[in-house]
Amino acid sequence: MDREWNDNQPIYRQLRDRVVAMILDGVLKEGDPLPSVRTVAAEYRVNPLTVLKGYQQLVDEELVEKRRGLGMFIRAGAHKLLLRGEREKFLDEEWPRIRATIQRLGLTREELLDVAEKPQSRSDPKKEEER
Amino acid sequence: MKSRIASLILFVLLAAVAFAQSDARKSLPPSDAQKSFDGMKALAGDWEGPVTVDPPQPGWSSDKPLHISMRVTSRGNALVHEVQEAGTPLDPTKYDHPVTMFYLDGDRLNLVHYCDAGNRPHMVARSSPDGKKIEFDFVDLSGGNEYGHMYHALFTMIDANHHLEDWTYMMPGDKPVKAHFDLQRAK
Repeated sequence: MDREWNDNQPIYRQLRDRVVAMILDGVLKEGDPLPSVRTVAAEYRVNPLTVLKGYQQLVDEELVEKRRGLGMFIRAGAHKLLLRGEREKFLDEEWPRIRATIQRLGLTREELLDVAEKPQSRSDPKKEEER
Repeated sequence: MKSRIASLILFVLLAAVAFAQSDARKSLPPSDAQKSFDGMKALAGDWEGPVTVDPPQPGWSSDKPLHISMRVTSRGNALVHEVQEAGTPLDPTKYDHPVTMFYLDGDRLNLVHYCDAGNRPHMVARSSPDGKKIEFDFVDLSGGNEYGHMYHALFTMIDANHHLEDWTYMMPGDKPVKAHFDLQRAK
């Protein structure tokens, strides 16, 4: 995990987001343990109460479970739950803006499918220059 | 000449009234809020002790203490309260220490908590009859509530070297997280 924090969100929320990203990326798998509150506090130089809030948020979102005497673990189904949430968020919040841009630019379905099938070619500046 | 004498008499009378008012103010018994504030200011200094949390967190070892420092400032008009880990030097780059300010405003003892969630909850105190418990109830919030906010605080005075603090943080969705500090005055 990155040791740097930004000032846009509370640290506990950034900590939550980092764990979420690690679950989505498969770095943390279902059943994997989370490091203890004290370990995270020491390693990332944050207040233990801040870490506590971040972990509690993950528990409230049913992504992490507490096992008495053992610690905190990624819940079974956490990846699916997150993916569903992120997909809904994309379709509700981001897609309407993207669709509006597509319509404004007059991009056709074929052009978009072509780009979708060759995602790398559009982002490679050398290939862009060759076109 | 007569007007000078009249002016002198008026000045003496006004001065007498002013002194009388000042004496009356001084002789007024302190308000409950003032007594509570005095009680809080008596906590100035460094404190350490274990913290237990509710809901319980596995791996939260209450044997590792937290450190609280309290400092009277602004010529006695404010008390600053700050939390950090015990046994660690105050690191100015470690900027998530919660800071709380206590101050008197009229007949109310107020608390403003400067939260890392980016908001500032305001609470007002009420004291138990024996003055040993000072409880702060939430009044209002400046800053957003997207990430939750501190909601309640209770200070319980045991003796000059021992006190308890109970803090309640309201997570998004109004789910409370409570932290109980059992604090001894640090040597």
